[in-house]
Amino acid sequence: MSPQDSSFARGPSRLVQADRVHKSVYADPVIFDLEMQRIFGRAWIYVGHESQVPNAGDYAQALLGREKVFMIRGPEGAVSVLFNRCAHKGSALVAFPSGNAGKFLRCPFHGWSYRCDGTLHSVPVREGYAGTRFDPDDPAFSIRRAPRQASYRGFVFASLAEDGDDLETFLGGIKTSLDNFCDRSPLGEVEVSGGVFRVWQTSNWKIFFENLNDTSHPMVTHESSVNAARAEYKSLPAGTKLPFRLHIIEGNGEPYEFWDKLEMVGYDRGHSYMGAIFQPPTDPVSLAHIATLTAAYGEQRTQEILQVQRHNSIIYPSCSPHTSFQQLRVIRPVAVDRTLVEIYTFRLKGAPPEVFQRAISYANVVNSPSSNVMPDDIEVYARCQQGLSGDGGDWVSLHRDAGRDRAVPGGFVANGLSELPMRNQFRAWAQYMAREA
Amino acid sequence: MIRDVEKFLFHEAALLDQRRWPEWLALFAEDGMYWVPLTHGQTDPIDHASLFYEDALLREVRARRLEEKRAWSQQPVTQAARIVGNIRLLPEQDGDIVVAATLHLLEWRRRDQHMLGGHTTHRLRRDGADFRIVLKRVDLINCEDVQDTLETFL
Repeated sequence: MSPQDSSFARGPSRLVQADRVHKSVYADPVIFDLEMQRIFGRAWIYVGHESQVPNAGDYAQALLGREKVFMIRGPEGAVSVLFNRCAHKGSALVAFPSGNAGKFLRCPFHGWSYRCDGTLHSVPVREGYAGTRFDPDDPAFSIRRAPRQASYRGFVFASLAEDGDDLETFLGGIKTSLDNFCDRSPLGEVEVSGGVFRVWQTSNWKIFFENLNDTSHPMVTHESSVNAARAEYKSLPAGTKLPFRLHIIEGNGEPYEFWDKLEMVGYDRGHSYMGAIFQPPTDPVSLAHIATLTAAYGEQRTQEILQVQRHNSIIYPSCSPHTSFQQLRVIRPVAVDRTLVEIYTFRLKGAPPEVFQRAISYANVVNSPSSNVMPDDIEVYARCQQGLSGDGGDWVSLHRDAGRDRAVPGGFVANGLSELPMRNQFRAWAQYMAREA
Repeated sequence: MIRDVEKFLFHEAALLDQRRWPEWLALFAEDGMYWVPLTHGQTDPIDHASLFYEDALLREVRARRLEEKRAWSQQPVTQAARIVGNIRLLPEQDGDIVVAATLHLLEWRRRDQHMLGGHTTHRLRRDGADFRIVLKRVDLINCEDVQDTLETFL
């Protein structure tokens, strides 16, 4: 079955079955183009965090599907998501990944300038347009805004579709991951800080997204880094406490039974998270952190916040927060076999500085392009892309614990080793892709 | 002395090209750091992420991992040829020798051959007739670009 034949014309959801998906969803550029229209052209896509643009004129670029946009802070405080395209002759307006545009956005070509909400401010030698169809009040002569934008606790999302669920309805149950991300700050607020990592993957975006809640890969894919961390620990003086930086690497070596005890939760629209077991921490950094939470919220509320322990959360189709170490990964598909991933570190405002420094340390060790953990992931994704591009089989298996997902309001739950998250993502994928324009 | 420093840097490059990790690790002082900043002109490696910011512990983990049979992304291993040039001495700092140089690193990994390059700064501490690396800093010219994975030491 190929997407060009009439079975595809009856709907790409035929490529998705309850326990397997057709390989073409990962390898066919025609399907990728349709994903850009029907998924990335409709869903709420993560743009950035408001803290990236604190002052008037600050901007930060992003991709909405294939559209190059930027968010920019206006003088009154409002944040707008605008297409990076001058209304005059189409020049990109901002050049840096982030920066400050000044009081007005001014095109480098002929100097058309715009307010930070995208509306046209001025055009040189305006008299030349008198008696023509140039009309400063016509939106065609202002910067195009993303059709919809909204912010949840500072996380800015935008949509290329005029209509659809509002952001909070879209987020549904996965909102609780963003809440927990922020609630771990004694002020309930977070801010991006310390730079961003950008990494290429030579593979389809969905392979990465599925891996974020994949519990049967760590002990195999990451064997080399687990072994290296364990050997390093053994070489330290006897009785040395396991250093944090080794702990976060060798954790991937936990046995299957460990992972299966965790709870896998999948929500409608493709979101999911992997629950973690709460173990009251004893290290000084965590204790200092908890002390600031207790001072802000009291014991009971602090315990409620800490009990929400999650490994990766997935906000389909664009980002993945990791609440334990304040990381956010953003997925930007570029081609059927090429994906850009950005990784941001956040500071919990009001928490001790050592908490942020630990998050930076985590980022350096796990999420940097130089991570000892990540290259094995990227390698197996690339090997999958290679295999799926050939004719060695038609289907990709999602059979693990299939048929055992337990329905709950707004989604499903399963045991930790279950492939519920992958099936859940394709449930959403099929719904998006079945709707034509 | 410039000749001694040049010999040291050429020897370091050869060790890395030949994947002789334990000998390269031994070039560092106990408190030595290996730093590849994430941004141009980065001054802070503690409150800001870096492409590499590795003490002896992390350098050893990397060296161990690179030789693991089941390091899937090193099948086949990265091959490299480094040129270290434009070597010049900068003013000493606290008794340490400071050396600036330019690095061109040609790498072949899996299907791609590509070049990485930038400016290096070594802080060297005298150890008898030898030197020990207190800091090796590599400022890649494309540090702010999207990166492929960086597995070996630069």
